[in-house]
Amino acid sequence: MIIRVENLRKVYDTGAIQVEALKDINLAIEKNEYVAVMGASGSGKSTLMNIFGCLDRLTEGKYILDDVDVSTLNTNELAIIRNKKIGFVFQAFNLLPRLSALGNVELPMVYAGMQKGDRQKKAKAALEKVGLGDRMHHKPNELSGGQKQRVAIARALVNDPAIILADEPTGNLDTKSSEEIMNIFEGLNNEGVTIVMVTHEQDIALHTKRAVIFRDGEIISDKQVENRIVRGGITA
Amino acid sequence: MNLTESFMSALQSVRANKMRSFLTMLGIIIGISSVITIVAIGQGGKQAIVGEFDDLGTNVININVKSTENNIEDRDYFTLEDADLVKEKISEVTTVVPASGSMCYLKTEKDSKFAEIDGVTQDFNKLMKVDMLAGRFLNEGDIMSSRNVVVIDEITAKKLFNSPEKAIGETVKAAVNGDNTNLTVIGVSESSSGSMAAMFGDNYPGVGYFPITISERVLPDAKITFFSIMLENMDNSKEVATKIVYLLEQAHRNKGKYAAEEGFKELDMLNNVLNILTAVIGAIAGISLIVGGIGVMNIMLVSVTERTREIGIRKALGAKNKDIMLQFLTESLILCLIGGIIGMTTGILLGLVVGKAINIPLSVSPGVILIAFGFSSAVGIFFGLYPANKAAKLDPIEALRYE
Repeated sequence: MIIRVENLRKVYDTGAIQVEALKDINLAIEKNEYVAVMGASGSGKSTLMNIFGCLDRLTEGKYILDDVDVSTLNTNELAIIRNKKIGFVFQAFNLLPRLSALGNVELPMVYAGMQKGDRQKKAKAALEKVGLGDRMHHKPNELSGGQKQRVAIARALVNDPAIILADEPTGNLDTKSSEEIMNIFEGLNNEGVTIVMVTHEQDIALHTKRAVIFRDGEIISDKQVENRIVRGGITA
Repeated sequence: MNLTESFMSALQSVRANKMRSFLTMLGIIIGISSVITIVAIGQGGKQAIVGEFDDLGTNVININVKSTENNIEDRDYFTLEDADLVKEKISEVTTVVPASGSMCYLKTEKDSKFAEIDGVTQDFNKLMKVDMLAGRFLNEGDIMSSRNVVVIDEITAKKLFNSPEKAIGETVKAAVNGDNTNLTVIGVSESSSGSMAAMFGDNYPGVGYFPITISERVLPDAKITFFSIMLENMDNSKEVATKIVYLLEQAHRNKGKYAAEEGFKELDMLNNVLNILTAVIGAIAGISLIVGGIGVMNIMLVSVTERTREIGIRKALGAKNKDIMLQFLTESLILCLIGGIIGMTTGILLGLVVGKAINIPLSVSPGVILIAFGFSSAVGIFFGLYPANKAAKLDPIEALRYE
């Protein structure tokens, strides 16, 4: 079990009004799952991703990530968890503009306290894996959207996290680049990487194995994906 | 993230905004350079003044027979034996120079010069710096064998013999109250107060030194009225002076007829005044450093806001609050340190130029350089602390959402 949440509630207290973003969520994600989290904006899917990513704290309930009860950890310990157990892929890529592709991929290892030599070796391997071996020294503004997202994936992978959390990873990409990115995720999942992906696009969700649908802070549907698209082809 | 790493990364971001970084540093540069210039010139000036006093000798106290007392008898005057006694009994004393002096005319056949002549020992030039222009100073042989020799100063030599070199080996007559003694010139010393002499011209009295052992011949009233005493240091000069006076009083069985004076109280005071002056002007210049620091804080705050998203990304990737803190603190430290180095260089150069213009040698002590480094780092850390803390405390979700 990679992720287990029990009776999770998240309430935003803005003083005057209280907004219940997540109501009593129970969810378990096993190792090597490939899950799409779907729902309209405001449905609570982003809040859940933030909590999964240890960026936000839950109000009530329990969150176990890779056998660690995250709900009780302090800021510092959460930072370590983010560093070691989670790989983020964002819609807006979120690469640091001043650093080269290599520098960006090295960053999580910098915060893990790894030596420069080891870091570069691992970062190069990760970049080669996503097919960017020849563009390692380019700055983000010299890369296309698809290439930027591939750098971000390499960065998410490089500390061998327990789970990859992708928040609308293809939201800013054209169809062709989207397809490439989805193929990379597919490949990673085949190698055993656990992936949770937020998306509101049906065709993207069709690449995953399981779809969890949110509405108004509740899970309204959680089932295996039928008619999965696998590497450009539709399978039963 | 280790220190070297954050140092390199900070250097990179300082370089990324060259113009802005430079303008931010400018405040520090101006602050540090003005402090350095002022302190360097202040210390240089002090050394120049102390240097002038140096000619008069350091670590010296004078004991004299009070001329204002009118019941001074012959037995009250110092003797050469007293000098040995003082040197022997008081451990802090390194040298004792007995002196007897008088004003007289030094005469050649053609010309004469009014001068103060002092009977001294060969140790005199240990106490007072006597720079020889020609010939030599009195030596032990001159004293022991009571030779009729004299060392005259430059202005006397010029008046009587036209030049220091021509004076050597010539004879002058020392005329005191009509008694004439022939003395052979063995050396010419630099006049210690050259500029004063130049101002007063011919009327400024010259100086001559002869062996104290011939005082009886030269001076009609040859009494040793004066001991110049050199001490190892001035740490407790007052106590030592009291001890010496007491010793001499014991030897002469009298009381209250000798006085001790420290020639360098005045120098200490002058030193203090100069120190205070330098400190005050330095402090005023230091205010500009604070203004510079505020500039650094301002730009660091802008930088934190600008890079809110970067902070969010770094936190998402596992940066702890202290990593972010360190990153921004290092940046402001680097800004201030580079500013400090440029400021120091500018300050020293400026000090050289100004020092040359007002004819004061520049003095840059390692202490000043350390202080400059210390101050700019302190400014960097102090004024970087608030922005860095602000950055570290940012909420990662808010920061990631920041456009």
